[in-house]
Amino acid sequence: MVAAALSNRRNRILIAIWIAVVVGALFALFLSAQNSEQFGRLQPWILLASAAAVLVIIGLLARKIYQLVSAYRSGVPGSRLTSRTVLVFSALVALPLLTVYVFSLEFLNRGIDSWFRVEIKQGLNDAVVLSRSALDLRMREYGGRTERFAVSLSNQSAGGALFALDEELRSSGASEIVLYGEYERIVGAASQEVADALPDRPPADLVRTVSSGSTYLSLEPVGDSRYLIRTAAPIPGTPFSRGDARFIVVVYELPRQFAELTDTVQRSYSQYGDLAALREPLKYSFRLTLTMVLLVTLLGAIYGAIYSAEILFKPVQDLVAGTRAVAKGDFGMRVPLTSHDEMGFLVQSFNDMTKRLRRAREETESSRAAVEREREWLAIILARLSAGVITVDRDLLVQRVNESAGSILGVDLSSTVGRVLGLGSDAETGLLPAFVAELRSKFATGRDEWREQIELQPAASKTSSRVLVCACVPLPKEESGVEQFVIVFDDVTHLLQAQRDAAWGEVARRLAHEIKNPLTPIQLSAERLRRKLLPALSGSDADMVERSTHTIVQQVESMKQMVNDFSEYARAPAMQVATFDLNRLVTEVTDLYRSQDASIEMVTYLGETLLEIAADRSRVRQVLNNLLANAFEALEGVRPAVIEIRTSAITLEGHTFIELDVADNGPGFQSDMIGRVFNPYVTSKPRGTGLGLAIVKKIVEDHRGRIELGNRPSGGAMVRVMFPVSEQERAIAPGAEQGERRRERA
Amino acid sequence: MTTKDGKARRLWVRIMTMVCLWLAGAMPWQWPELRADPLEGTLEVQSAFVNVVGGVYQLHVRTRYPSSDETASALRDGVSLSYDVDVEVARERRFWANENIVTLQLKRELSYHSVSERYVVRDPLLDDEQKSYATLDEALAALGSIESWPILVVLQVAEPGAYLVSVRARVRRGRLTDALRALMFWSDDWQRESEWYSWSLPR
Repeated sequence: MVAAALSNRRNRILIAIWIAVVVGALFALFLSAQNSEQFGRLQPWILLASAAAVLVIIGLLARKIYQLVSAYRSGVPGSRLTSRTVLVFSALVALPLLTVYVFSLEFLNRGIDSWFRVEIKQGLNDAVVLSRSALDLRMREYGGRTERFAVSLSNQSAGGALFALDEELRSSGASEIVLYGEYERIVGAASQEVADALPDRPPADLVRTVSSGSTYLSLEPVGDSRYLIRTAAPIPGTPFSRGDARFIVVVYELPRQFAELTDTVQRSYSQYGDLAALREPLKYSFRLTLTMVLLVTLLGAIYGAIYSAEILFKPVQDLVAGTRAVAKGDFGMRVPLTSHDEMGFLVQSFNDMTKRLRRAREETESSRAAVEREREWLAIILARLSAGVITVDRDLLVQRVNESAGSILGVDLSSTVGRVLGLGSDAETGLLPAFVAELRSKFATGRDEWREQIELQPAASKTSSRVLVCACVPLPKEESGVEQFVIVFDDVTHLLQAQRDAAWGEVARRLAHEIKNPLTPIQLSAERLRRKLLPALSGSDADMVERSTHTIVQQVESMKQMVNDFSEYARAPAMQVATFDLNRLVTEVTDLYRSQDASIEMVTYLGETLLEIAADRSRVRQVLNNLLANAFEALEGVRPAVIEIRTSAITLEGHTFIELDVADNGPGFQSDMIGRVFNPYVTSKPRGTGLGLAIVKKIVEDHRGRIELGNRPSGGAMVRVMFPVSEQERAIAPGAEQGERRRERA
Repeated sequence: MTTKDGKARRLWVRIMTMVCLWLAGAMPWQWPELRADPLEGTLEVQSAFVNVVGGVYQLHVRTRYPSSDETASALRDGVSLSYDVDVEVARERRFWANENIVTLQLKRELSYHSVSERYVVRDPLLDDEQKSYATLDEALAALGSIESWPILVVLQVAEPGAYLVSVRARVRRGRLTDALRALMFWSDDWQRESEWYSWSLPR
């Protein structure tokens, strides 16, 4: 703004200087026209001022045109409009100016030429010739008289000649008669003037003429419209080498009437001659002056057009710049108000509009920020929600999904937004295929709102089926008419498992209570029968009693064992947590088992830097017992039989665990049982209770540990148990439920 | 739209080209050449001196004026010429511009009287003071000889110091009004002036 103001100020100063120079030059021209002497003195300054004025305007114009062209090329707002206006203005000014210029030049040429027509010149020449002829007659008449007078003097004495002069003066009407002697000495004279007026010396040409014996005639203008006819004649018979009188000069004054007429003709001829000589210079001067005026006017008009267009279109340029700024989103720009006319009204309206737009944008921004905040809150809530939430349309195009949904389904769904659920690279992972199929079947029924508990079989059959509580609610239709649904689901498998575990616990407790009590009397009764009857019987009866009682006792023992197992499963005593060395415990237990069956090789890989573990030692021992017992049972008839036991410390999700792996090279888990082996009473062994792994899992979960099982690629089963290393780790460690989800997803 | 613009632009270019060509044709450099310098020849102050007569400084100047057929022809066509003599007397100052004491101009006019066929020399300020000569050379000789022109009195140069007398002769077209002379500012080549002839005033 400051630069623009300075530029305007500089332009105004330059224009003022230019105007001052031009006005000064014109004033000097005016002054000089009044006085040619002054003009002569001012001539260089006038030239300098004129050249300066023209140079200044050419410089200003060149600068303006350069700025205009540069602005036009670089696309400065308003430059095209300014250029077009300048061109139109220039054309509008130039055409009439040039037309006037052409006609003025033609008029000047013709006008000046008409002043000097041939007829006038010829007329003046004729007038001169006529005048000369008329005067010539009179001069010859005077000349003849002078000759005769000279002849008459030839016989006169000197004294007589003087009287003759006077007589001739009176009779001829001459104004002066002079008689010259040798060396042009005045011998005698008679004059109409005062006596003391001494005659002039005779002109040289007169002397030459009369010396040659001729009569001299001349007409001499003497000013004040007076003419003298000077005649001279030699006095015949008078040798110029001797004697006194040599020639006579008689001067006549042309009559007044003749003189005035002659003067008029001469004056006209002279004036015409003066003017005729001025013809070409006059034309040249007029052309030059006219051309200079044309150039100055034209250049000035073009400069004025540029200057006016700039002033006129400055608000337009500002408006264009403002519009571009608004188009780029800058609503804070205000166009300066330079006038209060229609353009000013337009600028004011533009500023009002940008102000309103800015206010509207601020309101929109505020609303958008509020919506964004709500969206963030919703995202946070959804992220923290343990239930899975997916927003889809009827074609299962995912609009929104939270992290828990992926965790529950065992698939990373973060990249499925905007895609159809179940069509990605992970379409066959986790519970997703079953979930998608279930959703499609639900949508196929046409029910938009439903809530059901569904059981899904994972894509990998090694894991157990999951039970989800799933609800679907339609969202209000959007403007596009697309229907959307919110599907909320949660994995209740563990809840159901817990319920089942509780139920099984109750069953076991009742079984233990109801079955264990009669078993001892049955066993005692059977032993008493054998003790009483066996001695009394013999042969086959005794053998039958023996076998029967033995069978009863043995089966009762088995039932007791089974009841104890149930009792153990149902019992949930408080854990006696103590810190101990797991490697030592593993060594103790494996040594015990090695002594039982030497045909089975037991290999231990004990972690060297293993930390001591804080857990219930007896229950961890039971875990190890159950796992080794299962392995021994699985290796029956397998040779070579190898059991590998491995301990190690691992860090999982920032938490430190002690890992215990037990693997064998037996037949492994049956694929259809892998998902159910932790359920009580699920076993593939003919003599198993199906409570071993259930108890192991219960103990591990009580320690907030994790358990995994599966078949090794090389064959055989493998069970991996992880215990938190310390009480603190156990307090903050993620539960077995979450751990199992992550394991399945992995 | 583009085609229309292109046609309009071509038409505009053609018009402007024609205007420029026409202007170039009308420019002064295309105008007929002016005739040669009519006052060609020697114009100089050949000699000049002053003498004191009765306390008055009188100037005597001998000037050579140019004479040519061109001049004679112009005179015979009715043109009159002014023969001016400028005189300046200034007191010399060492560290300052000279002080001007006297500035005088002697004006004479030469014309050809076509009826009498004589060259007339007159003082334009005094209409009845004129002399006529049969030839141009006689007239120029008469014009070139100025005798006993009183230019200043002794009292005007009473202050001590050196005084410089400068004489210059000028010839120009006569009988022009000032307005006409202003109009002829650009083109009048009937103007010449001699160098200044300067000498110290003897005291």
